[in-house]
Amino acid sequence: MKDIHQIRPKIVERLREVIDPELGVNIVDLGLIYQIFPEDDKLRVDFTTTTPGCPLRRFLHQQVEKALQDIEGIGEYEINMVMKPDWKVEMIKEGVVFFAVPPPPRK
Amino acid sequence: MTAYKTKLLNTLFGILLVTAGMGLLLGLYTGLIRLGLVLPSAFELGAMAHGPLMINGFLATLISVERGAALEKLWTYIAPASFAISTFLLMFGHTAAGGYFLILGSVLLLLIMGYLCKIQPVNHHFIMAGGALALLNGNLLFILNTPVFELSGWWVAFPLLTIFGERLELNRIMRPPKKAVHLFTVLIFLWILSLAGIHAERDLFWQAGSVLIIAISVWLIRYDVARRTIKSVEWTRYSAWGLLTGYGWLIAVGIMGVIFGLPQAGFMYDAILHIFFVGFVFSMIFAHAAVIIPALTGKIVPYSHYFYFPLILLHGFLLIRILGDLFMSAGWRNIGSYGNVAAILLFLGGIIFQLFYSHFKKK
Repeated sequence: MKDIHQIRPKIVERLREVIDPELGVNIVDLGLIYQIFPEDDKLRVDFTTTTPGCPLRRFLHQQVEKALQDIEGIGEYEINMVMKPDWKVEMIKEGVVFFAVPPPPRK
Repeated sequence: MTAYKTKLLNTLFGILLVTAGMGLLLGLYTGLIRLGLVLPSAFELGAMAHGPLMINGFLATLISVERGAALEKLWTYIAPASFAISTFLLMFGHTAAGGYFLILGSVLLLLIMGYLCKIQPVNHHFIMAGGALALLNGNLLFILNTPVFELSGWWVAFPLLTIFGERLELNRIMRPPKKAVHLFTVLIFLWILSLAGIHAERDLFWQAGSVLIIAISVWLIRYDVARRTIKSVEWTRYSAWGLLTGYGWLIAVGIMGVIFGLPQAGFMYDAILHIFFVGFVFSMIFAHAAVIIPALTGKIVPYSHYFYFPLILLHGFLLIRILGDLFMSAGWRNIGSYGNVAAILLFLGGIIFQLFYSHFKKK
């Protein structure tokens, strides 16, 4: 795996393309990505869902996995869905437009 | 998670999803039997299986598969598996054995919801747990041979409370005032109490519950994001139409409940139950399809204007059915009912077509 400081912006950029279909916002701006860090020569990504009962868990896991597969030099990785700390609306990036993706509103 | 466990869960998930679909088709089929349709059948299904199949074979299987997908633990899949087994048993006429699996499924769904409440003790989880409890109540009464008109309130409450909890959860992004959230929870708690009350004083408590249903609907219209997203486009706008029309039907059924109470059978009974299940629950299912399908299949459903067609049919034919009920016209009621079945099948067909079309287009 390349240096985490080098590779993290690429991962974040790629994860911004993963959209929560329920809210139409990418999972980074929604605050669903908790951690991206190296652990035992592996990259570890911890994400959460807006509620522990959210059925989109599998879908988001698959999408995060697809996103990581596309990044060069990432090596081995592990994706974990974590339930703590509880996700809160305050974790959403300020100024986010809900349901904007996809698609942008027609004029 | 090990690769073996992932593969096992995926296989189980696929089987359960197919069984939920089968529960829906059989539920619709038995609904038509209720209306007098006679077709040669290999199954031991009668008109009385309509309610249990729609509530348990379809809705409970689907909702518990969703919860299983959320928690991704083997034990959580026992709930939908029990509902699926009961569908097969009902299909082949083993009503008593099917009933025991309904109870097992309901108890496990309640445990799943209890587990979620423990992880995150918040109002929306308590409301959804209330839904699971309502299902268990209804199913216990069902296996004790209580007439369906006595327990139908609990079966109505299961999908309603589940949807109310989910909407409250999603609408956190609207940041409703805490007082409003507490008010919503209190209204729902009182509604659950009114359902218990109808066992003692049927009409009075149904009327009181109907006032609460109107209040809950008004709350949802006031605080649901749908009022904003109706100005959006594609699935988002479509979903808003489904939600708001569903809330509209809830107000209508509330008004009817206040005026007529809940008869034990007949046209008005048919009207009230089908406004809940078709006007509200199926409208919500259509509205949430763009989220439910990716959650269940891992695939995004490409939007098409076509989906408005079954939505309009659903509401249009329900209106015909209700008018048939109000004017005691069995003919109109039948036209409306067949139209509703067609609307649901056309919607399902559209989803399947879009999934296959996008899959082959990518290739």
